[in-house]
Amino acid sequence: MRPSLFLRVVATEARVHLAYRADFWIQSVLGVAAQVALAYFVWQAMFRESGATRIGGFDLTGMAVYYLVVVLLAKLVLGPEHAGRVSQDVYEGGLNRYLVFPTSYFLFKYAQSLGALLPAVVQLALLALAAPLVLASPEGVAITPGGAAMAAVSVGAANLLYFAMSFPVQCVAFWAENVWSLAVALRLAAGLLGGLLLPLAVFPEGVRAILAWLPFRFLFDEPVRVLLGQVAFLDWLEGLGLALAWTGAVLLGGRLVWRRGVLGYGGVGI
Amino acid sequence: MIRADRLSKTFRVPRKAPGLRAALKGLVRPDLVEKRAVREVSFSVEEGEIVGLLGANGAGKTTLTKMLAGIVHPTAGDASVLGFRPWERDDRFRRQIALVMGQKAQLWWDLPAADGYLLLKEIYGIPADRYRRTIDALAEALGVVRELEIPIRRLSLGERMKMELIAALLHGPRVVFLDEPTIGLDLAAQRAIREFLLAYREENRPAVLLTSHYMEDIQRLCERILILRDGELVYDGSFKRVVERYAHTKVVSAHLRRDAPPPTAATVASLGASFDAEAWVVRRRVPRGEVAEAASALLATLPVADLSIEEEDVGAIVARILTARAEEAS
Repeated sequence: MRPSLFLRVVATEARVHLAYRADFWIQSVLGVAAQVALAYFVWQAMFRESGATRIGGFDLTGMAVYYLVVVLLAKLVLGPEHAGRVSQDVYEGGLNRYLVFPTSYFLFKYAQSLGALLPAVVQLALLALAAPLVLASPEGVAITPGGAAMAAVSVGAANLLYFAMSFPVQCVAFWAENVWSLAVALRLAAGLLGGLLLPLAVFPEGVRAILAWLPFRFLFDEPVRVLLGQVAFLDWLEGLGLALAWTGAVLLGGRLVWRRGVLGYGGVGI
Repeated sequence: MIRADRLSKTFRVPRKAPGLRAALKGLVRPDLVEKRAVREVSFSVEEGEIVGLLGANGAGKTTLTKMLAGIVHPTAGDASVLGFRPWERDDRFRRQIALVMGQKAQLWWDLPAADGYLLLKEIYGIPADRYRRTIDALAEALGVVRELEIPIRRLSLGERMKMELIAALLHGPRVVFLDEPTIGLDLAAQRAIREFLLAYREENRPAVLLTSHYMEDIQRLCERILILRDGELVYDGSFKRVVERYAHTKVVSAHLRRDAPPPTAATVASLGASFDAEAWVVRRRVPRGEVAEAASALLATLPVADLSIEEEDVGAIVARILTARAEEAS
C-alpha cells in the first residue's frame, strides 16, 4: 500500500469518528474518569485495610498515576471497540468491497483503526494537560521529553501488536457465527496479562516469570513504565525488538488464518 | 473480456434442526449440508457488450457475479477476466474492474461522496487532472453535482445509487459488474441511470454483466441475456428473441377520473378486464398484437384520465422460460 493511500485512509476514518462529537466527549470525560476513580477507590481501600504503604513497589499516589497513565495509553493501544472489525465485514458482506480494491485489506483496516484513534489522541492530550493539576508527582516517577518520545514509539508498537493479535481472532468469523466472545476474551486476557487491570508488579514472582515470556506485557506494562521513566534506554530497545518480533510472528499466523478463511468466504450481504 | 468455463460453486451451510437437543448436538458436531449455487456455467462477454443475467431468487446470479469479481472462490471450473483468474485478486485485475451492488452501499455512509471519491482516487492511483475531469463529467451526467458534498446517509436512494455508480466508474474500469443497480429507485432515477449507462458504454466500451429484476433495465440495456435456473445456465442468447417467444402479452392500464363513478361489474367484464378499486385503475392483459385495439376500447368505454402500457414482469417471463425448459427436459 502506498503511503499516500495509507494516510488518506487514516484521515478519512478520523473524519468519520470526529463526526460523533457527543460520543467523543462522553467517552473522554466519563469513561476515563470512571475507570481511574474506580481503581483509585479500590486501591485506597486495599492500602487502608492491609496497612501497607507500598504494594508492588507503588504507594497510593504512584498507583493512581499508574492507572491514569495506563487507562489513557490503553485507549491508544486498543482503539475504539467497534473500529476496524473484520468480523463485521465478514458477517455483513462489507468485505466484498475491500476484496475488489487493489490494495491490502490488512493494511487498509489497520489504517482505519489508526484513524479511529484520533479522538483518543485528542482526549489524551486534554487529560494529560489536566493531570498535573490533580496529581502530585510520586516517588520513582520521572516523565521527561525523551521518555515520552520513547513511550510514544512503544505505544505505536503496542497498537500494532494488539491489532495483529486481534486480526486472526476476528478472522474466526469466516467459520463461526459469532466471534464477539472471543474478541472479549482477547481483550480481557490482554488487560489482565498485559498490566491494564493490575500492574504486573503486583503479581507473584512465578507468574511474572511466565508473563515475561508472553507478548502481553508489551501492550500496557512496558509503555507505561517507559513513560514513567522506569526503563533504561538499552532495555527499552531490547523490549521494542521483542515486541516487534512477536508482532511479526502473530502477523504470520494471522496471514495463514486469513488466507484459509477467505478461500471459503461466501460474500454474503449482497 | 469475461470467460467462464464450467464454473461451479458449492457452499457448505449449517442445517439446524429444531429443539434444544439438536442445538446441543450442533455445538459438538454441526450438521453441514452442501448447496450447489452454480453448476458448470460457461459463457463469455466481449468488449462493449452489456449482458443481462436473469433468474429467480437463489438461482446463482450473485454467486456467479461474485466469482467473476474475485470475491468468491469457485469449487470447480475456471474463469478469466481481462486475462486474469479473478479469485487470485491480482492488483492489475482489480484496477480494471468495478462492482456495483444495488443493495449494498460501497461508499462511506457518514461522509460526503466527495470524501469517498478522494479515497478511491488514492486506491486506484488516479492522476489528479483525470480524477477532476472524470468526477465533473460523471456528476454532471447523473445530475448530482450539488450533492457531492452532502453526507451519503442524507441523500435519497436514487442520489445514493448515482454516487455509487460514479464511485464504481471513477477509475475507468474495462469490466463492470452491476448487481441490481436500479433496485428501489423511482422511474425517473431508473431512467437516468439507464441513459447514463448507455452513454458510458458508447464512450468507454466496457464489458458489463448486469443483474436486474426490472424488465425495462434489461430491455433498454441488453441485447443478450443469460438465464440461470438452480445454478445452471439454461439460456444464452438474444433478449429480443426471448420476448418474442415468451412475453406474449402486455398490460393496458386505464387510470380513471376520480370524479367519475366507478365502472359497473358488467362493463369491466365486457372489456375482459379487472378493476382495482384502491388504485382506481382498470387493467386488461392482451396479446402483444392487440394493444392498440384494447386501448381504444378502454378509452371509448371508460372515463380515462391516463393510460399506460406495461411489459410483463421479467420474473414472469423468466418463470415461463424456466417452465418451458423444464418441460423440454422432461
